Amino acid sequence: MNKRNIHISLNEAKSSAGSLKGLDIQVGKIKGEFWDEKEGPTPFPDHIDLRNWDRTLLARYKPLYLPFCDLCCLCTYGKCDLSGGKRGACGIGMEAQQSRIVLLAACIGAATHTSHGRHLVTHLIGKYGRRTPINVGGSNVDVEAPVIRLVCGIKPKTLSDLETVLDYLESQLTELLATAHTGQESDPIDFESKVFHAGMLDHVALELADMAQISVFDFPKADPDAELVKLGLGTIDSKKPVILVIGHNVPPAVDIIRYSQKHDLSDKIEVTGICCTAIDLTRQDPHAKIVGPISWQLRYIRSGVPDVIVVDEQCVRADLLIEAGNVSAPLIATSSKNCAGLVDRTLDNPDDIISDLVSGKVPGVLILDPDKVGEIAVRTAVLVKETRRTKKVSFIPTDQELIELAKRCGGCMECTRACPNETPIPEAMKSAALGNFVSLAEIYDSCIGCGRCEDVCNKDIPIHNTLVAAARKKVISEQFFVRAGRGAIQDIEIREVGGPIVLGEIPGVVAFVGCANFPKGVSEVAEMAREFAKRRYICVASGCSAMAIGMYKNEDGQTPYEEYHGRFEAGGIVNVGSCVSNAHISGAAIKIASIFAKRNLRGNYEEIADYVYNRVGAVGVAWGAMSQKAAAIASGFWRLGIPVIVGPHGAKYRRMLMGRKDNEEDWYVYDTRTGEKVYVGPVPEHLFITAETKEEAMVLIAKLCMRPNDTSRGRSMKLTHYIDLYKRLYGIMPDDIHLYIRSSADIPITMKEEILPIITEKGQSDQIIPDPTLLTSQIRKRNGAK
Amino acid sequence: MFEDIPVEVGLVYEGERIRKEDMRVELGGPKVSEKFEIILVKGQDEIEDGKIFIKGQDLSELEEGKSYPIGILVEVSGEKLENDLEGVLERRIHEYFNYIQGVMHLNQRYDIWIRVGKKSFSKGLTSFMQIGSALISLYRNELPIIEKIQITFFTGGEEFKSYYHKAMERYENRDSRARGLLDEEVDTFYGCALCQSFAPSHICVITPQRYANCGAISWFDGRAAARMDPDGPIFSIAKGDLIDCEHGEYAGVNEHASRRSMGEVDRVWLYSAFGYPHTSCGCFEAIAFFIPEVEGFGIVHRRFAGPTVNGLAFSTLADSTAGGRQIEGFHGISIEYMRSVKFLQADGGWNAIVWMPAEIKNTLTGIIPDSVVSAIATENDAQDVASLKTFLIDNNHPLVSGWREEESEEREIETGYSGNAPVFSMGELPVMAGGIKIILKNAKIYAEKIIIQPVDNKNLKSGGK
Repeated sequence: MNKRNIHISLNEAKSSAGSLKGLDIQVGKIKGEFWDEKEGPTPFPDHIDLRNWDRTLLARYKPLYLPFCDLCCLCTYGKCDLSGGKRGACGIGMEAQQSRIVLLAACIGAATHTSHGRHLVTHLIGKYGRRTPINVGGSNVDVEAPVIRLVCGIKPKTLSDLETVLDYLESQLTELLATAHTGQESDPIDFESKVFHAGMLDHVALELADMAQISVFDFPKADPDAELVKLGLGTIDSKKPVILVIGHNVPPAVDIIRYSQKHDLSDKIEVTGICCTAIDLTRQDPHAKIVGPISWQLRYIRSGVPDVIVVDEQCVRADLLIEAGNVSAPLIATSSKNCAGLVDRTLDNPDDIISDLVSGKVPGVLILDPDKVGEIAVRTAVLVKETRRTKKVSFIPTDQELIELAKRCGGCMECTRACPNETPIPEAMKSAALGNFVSLAEIYDSCIGCGRCEDVCNKDIPIHNTLVAAARKKVISEQFFVRAGRGAIQDIEIREVGGPIVLGEIPGVVAFVGCANFPKGVSEVAEMAREFAKRRYICVASGCSAMAIGMYKNEDGQTPYEEYHGRFEAGGIVNVGSCVSNAHISGAAIKIASIFAKRNLRGNYEEIADYVYNRVGAVGVAWGAMSQKAAAIASGFWRLGIPVIVGPHGAKYRRMLMGRKDNEEDWYVYDTRTGEKVYVGPVPEHLFITAETKEEAMVLIAKLCMRPNDTSRGRSMKLTHYIDLYKRLYGIMPDDIHLYIRSSADIPITMKEEILPIITEKGQSDQIIPDPTLLTSQIRKRNGAK
Repeated sequence: MFEDIPVEVGLVYEGERIRKEDMRVELGGPKVSEKFEIILVKGQDEIEDGKIFIKGQDLSELEEGKSYPIGILVEVSGEKLENDLEGVLERRIHEYFNYIQGVMHLNQRYDIWIRVGKKSFSKGLTSFMQIGSALISLYRNELPIIEKIQITFFTGGEEFKSYYHKAMERYENRDSRARGLLDEEVDTFYGCALCQSFAPSHICVITPQRYANCGAISWFDGRAAARMDPDGPIFSIAKGDLIDCEHGEYAGVNEHASRRSMGEVDRVWLYSAFGYPHTSCGCFEAIAFFIPEVEGFGIVHRRFAGPTVNGLAFSTLADSTAGGRQIEGFHGISIEYMRSVKFLQADGGWNAIVWMPAEIKNTLTGIIPDSVVSAIATENDAQDVASLKTFLIDNNHPLVSGWREEESEEREIETGYSGNAPVFSMGELPVMAGGIKIILKNAKIYAEKIIIQPVDNKNLKSGGK
């Protein structure tokens, strides 16, 4: 590992008289004396270092494969049919092949975040200097980089320290990717373990990227009262020149804000965003606006409102150049990862570029300098606004046009078959043709904006546009708030919740994360978050899910961010920020071990993961998980022992990691005090599972918050919510309550009369609550004990 | 279990809030000056078990949208009950009321504020009889040591007045007993293992004069919990022989600590931050931290956001202890412990305190002895050790007279690594080596740590041991 212990730079050196100028010597880099915490066994771990831990988890949660495709077509031996126990030409079996694809996805995801981090750090170092200090939350955050401390065993102080971390990530990811080559790894469990490794690396990359941008930009620094920012199509003033930014890597968007501020244009233009760039944009400037999750790309562009579209990287639609061209909006690509076939104009004179864009001579440009993007986007938007006035830029049909379009529909059902959510479009078209748009408007609610329906329509109906037209009133009323992404959780907040958690006042932590591939639209995420905030869980959110939560109003017209506070405590809905901010969620879990048990984090992954797994009642919910990044993020949570629930589309990730509650022998832990093996019941029952409906997910959330260390008060509270939700959904008592009741003190008092007979019938005997661990190394029993 | 009440009763309704527009009627609250709820332990034959009385109007007779006085008197008896448990049992009234769907209960004692929602009222929740019956079920189910229970609801009238005054008297009696109860007067302390679910080696000892670190559990709470569930996470500790009254060392506490910590902690001094201090978990409310330069303690609580007088914030100071370890000079405590006369007794008590945030200093008015109160600095008086020293001298802090003559002697000082600032920077730096002269221009040298050591390296004072 490159530790870069010395850095010397000389600008001028004369030998005879020995004169040097501008000498810069840095000694003793990050790994060194000034952190007195003992180094754990696995600083900068290879996959092999944590393989035993992975196998321990995977023995409990054996992969259940759900092949999305029976074939392997990765090499010229193929296609190989792997169904029915057949092996491919290279010898690989179905299970290993599924895991291999999962590994590829996780590597793509982790590589994306790593590359994102590399771009960001390189850019920021170039602009602000390598010695720019890391600052994620001032004096309220002592453990500033829990994931990096834990995995890498270093305490990053400056931007340049992050380069060492990036070197590590890049070498590890290359190795993981190599194992997916034909003729390498063959065992599905080893593939799975490598998936976990990719996930862990991913969280390091996430943390690194967010730390870098929080430190340098004017983002909220671990601020529970971060400002409320506007969200929704209805918040945008389309009379002004409007810039749309899409993607994840925020420097170009920041420079757009800065350019407009510098030239007194802040009030005269609208800067709007989609996806994570939007979240990070509003962390920089709370006056910028979030349009919505990734699924809002087509509808917003086709409305004609954005005058200039600026894209960076990740989750950007691949047909944006076409879409932008249709509405005469110039496209500016800003990332080498997403050049869109455009000519690189980075070094050209801005006046020339702007003239080409405004005149329509070129549909777009590639500019790799964020500063320059700032200037060009703003100036172009102002000028293009005028030229676009005379052009047809909105493709949302009027009511009359909509009726005419709907009349074309022949009811062939191709659109419904193409729709990921199988929405009943033809039926709705039938009534729309008669002037009744209600059904079509309902479909808008569950539309994920993919546009597949249009491609298959043999009557060339711009179906997506018709949905937006039918829902016109709703679209205009999309005026919401989301709390700007706050970044890290303060150490103090973690301390504050310790008491309430052991006293049972906080039943768990639920993280709503991931993309917008929702089965029934955005509202379900908000409904789940509200339900759990109301039940005094701590809800955290990031990325598109954080936006989805904001797109909801209660009977008083309040969004959940107005209704619930943003503190990391009971009944909060805490927006940590964009995709890369997910590391603050895993980071909070890791900090619990550091803060309450004073466990060393430094290079001590296995022990801390074991601590988190057995103690921290946290669950991730990626209701609309779509991307490979989401796969990597989830994998990082698994290795840390945090279960993840995905929506119905999540089954396409090819396998679940489900426990078997009926296998009693799977659910023993060691009691660290005595070294004895103790049965603790199936907690948490699953590590990765898909839920078909929101209700099913809510029951699972409550259930998967249980941990072996729960105090009786804590367990009774968790059971109350589990049983209450189960009864509401299924109308009966759950059949597994006895597995979670260790003694009568665990029984919720208001349910005693219902539960006691069940326990008596099942013959449950009292169990002790151990100090649980899966690791023999954690057994504390010593000779000194009396 | 709750057949008599037409709405649901469950823990899930605990966080429910009832807004003014949704409320049928309000009981107590800010618009009503007199209200109370109280539990009294009575003799077995003084109680008609299961009986509910209503003095004044019942719920259905109260006018919609109005606020009314309310009194709730719960009388219980049982062989193992004693007056000391009344306060703990009484706090359940708050929880139980909130379990009822469409009923909100805030605060306690003479400060209660209850709202009954319109929806629940229209579902048929129209009588105190129903609420009383739910309360009785809950008390019986959760607390089997209650053998008999009767409840009376008052909504006005002479009887309400007279019970109101009785209640106020009783609260005052209880408080003065609680405040005055000494560790020497009891033979049992309580241990709490709740925090061990996150801090496995933390040993919490709760005595009448030393609240749990989290501030949530008093000796009375411990006593009640241990009686109700002897096998639960809060249990009694026979305090055993008093070994050292100044430091607060008890044989029973040592024995308990040794057993629970698997031998890692075998001595505990309850009233000292040195030697064998009480271990710190993670959720302590405040920390007492020794400042060697002035030989006294600073105190900072969790919610104080800025840096303390030694430049470190709560989160950093807290990080130096916690996790169930005994760290000398860094001591996790509860706010309530500061109200105790045993507070850091062995280290000098309040006379050893030199700095604390104004917010907690204000709440401790009357607790901090007059002799020292004005000599304890807050963030408004001193922001660093130098200004603290000046403040202490100016205000004649008791510690000042004890400062040794050799105070000014050099000590090993480690300065924190400070971001961007070079420790050494100069325009031209000549370096002579082996007959060659090298001139460094605009040289900046950064180092991770500087150690300044005296030539004659004497030992540091190790504190109040």
